[in-house]
Amino acid sequence: MAASSEILEALGDYQVQCNGNARLRRMQKDWTKRLHFQARETGDWFTMVVVQGEITDFATGTEGTPDIVVFAKSEDLCDMFWGDLNPSQKYLRGEIIVKASPEDVMRLDAITMIIWPDAAS
Amino acid sequence: MDAEATNSKAIKTQALHDFAEYVNPMKARILAHAGLDIIEGRREGARVWDVTGRSYIDCITSAGSFNAGRRNPHIIAALKAALDELDQGIFLICSKAKADLAKRLAEITPGDIKYSMFGASGGEVVDFAIKLARGYTRRPRIISTLKGYHGHTGFALSAIGRDAYQDPFRPLMPGFDRIPFGDAEALASAIGEDTAAFIIEPIQGEGGIQVPPPGYLRAVREICDRAGALLILDEIQTGFGRTGKLFACEHEGVVPDIMTLGKSLGGGLYPITAAVFREPLGDFLVANPYIHLSTFGGADLGCAVGLATIDEIIGQDLPGHATAMGERFMAGFRQLQAKYPEVLAEVRGRGLMIGLQYLDQSMGPRMSYQLAQRGVIALYTGNDPSVMRLQPSLVISPAEVDEVLAAVDGAMAAIVAGVADEPAARGKETRRRRPRETEEV
Repeated sequence: MAASSEILEALGDYQVQCNGNARLRRMQKDWTKRLHFQARETGDWFTMVVVQGEITDFATGTEGTPDIVVFAKSEDLCDMFWGDLNPSQKYLRGEIIVKASPEDVMRLDAITMIIWPDAAS
Repeated sequence: MDAEATNSKAIKTQALHDFAEYVNPMKARILAHAGLDIIEGRREGARVWDVTGRSYIDCITSAGSFNAGRRNPHIIAALKAALDELDQGIFLICSKAKADLAKRLAEITPGDIKYSMFGASGGEVVDFAIKLARGYTRRPRIISTLKGYHGHTGFALSAIGRDAYQDPFRPLMPGFDRIPFGDAEALASAIGEDTAAFIIEPIQGEGGIQVPPPGYLRAVREICDRAGALLILDEIQTGFGRTGKLFACEHEGVVPDIMTLGKSLGGGLYPITAAVFREPLGDFLVANPYIHLSTFGGADLGCAVGLATIDEIIGQDLPGHATAMGERFMAGFRQLQAKYPEVLAEVRGRGLMIGLQYLDQSMGPRMSYQLAQRGVIALYTGNDPSVMRLQPSLVISPAEVDEVLAAVDGAMAAIVAGVADEPAARGKETRRRRPRETEEV
């Protein structure tokens, strides 16, 4: 089980990776979203804000009305943000649940492909 | 593994790599996730074989492009014979092949539909249908439906019922409004003296196999008539026997002013589409004979294929077979709905245009994966991943229907049981970030 602080640390790394990737920023310039994540076994919530492709904020708790809500085990959240896990296979197995429009689900997968092209399944 | 198997696997690996590298990387990735990283080899009847030799029943059929079966031998013979004499033809002059197919379409389409304008894609003839409606009525407004699907070209894109297809390209064509599908009152409220046409699919395909309530098409016909607006029926997916009638509008005895046709008109062998329309609308072309041109639309080779395809669909009574096989599917799916209520919420459709409504969005991709493992190619809809479309070839046999039903049964059982045969989960590893290639280890 990953602690909330570890997930935040992973989120910080994810922010650096995303915001520093010119290809991703160009691809995502039309994407402004608010995401909520919940670590299922701990019940901890996290909020991430993306404005025109840039991750501008992340924090514990739920803030605002989300466009996308992700439920996953805390370790999967950590691994996903570190880039050690390709979330697509876990999504297809029903272990990661995403409540979002089909376009946003595909966009999350596209982000993964760009920044973590060789992430494990 | 013998040399042939090794070679076919290498061909597949290279093709998938090159598709991701040179065509569409994200598409390749999504299909791989859904277990549909298949490279088509042999195709016949309701089946397709991966280049490695694995057999699948094709329940996608390019959204209804193979009503007469994959590589129908009679249609192939017609195309080969045409190739001995014809080419695409000069589009600016008259053509016997065009005239023959247009005459045949006038014979088989309902009511006083008479004229044909040919195209090479569905979007192209939807564009023409909307242009004709505006040109004939001299009214600007087009009403379409939410979740409706009509193609990705200019006017068609503006009529489509999904924002995601439109948003990157705004502004779109002006004068387009959308209303809920299946709601005649909504049309009555929206339609007005400025309305040129109402465009709908008789059954929404991409929208999730949405079947309107009985009497809907008759009601919209009356509403359009009262308002002096045209009714455009997009039968590109529903046409040529798919729903158990040659055209879906025949279920309600409705004659549209304009009907768009495509997909199976080309027999899965040559791209050809058409907008067919009633005689009075022909006056617009009398006044404007060169208002819409298409180099490849109604190519002579395509017209020969279209004629052979129509003969095959009618001669083999494929609409009647679609009805019988559709009933067999529906009976089986209703049993599966009772068996797996935690997966399957609803079964709907008509003939061999069937939608499975799952309980949540993740089920669509998961079921695609599970079905591919069991020899069935099926895909969830773009508008709603919780709905799976099943549109097999109309030549599917009772045994093949049962094979699909058994595969769906097995797939749902696997999902309920925890999907033991999906790709193995990653082994327990540290959650600490692994060193990246650019870092020193």
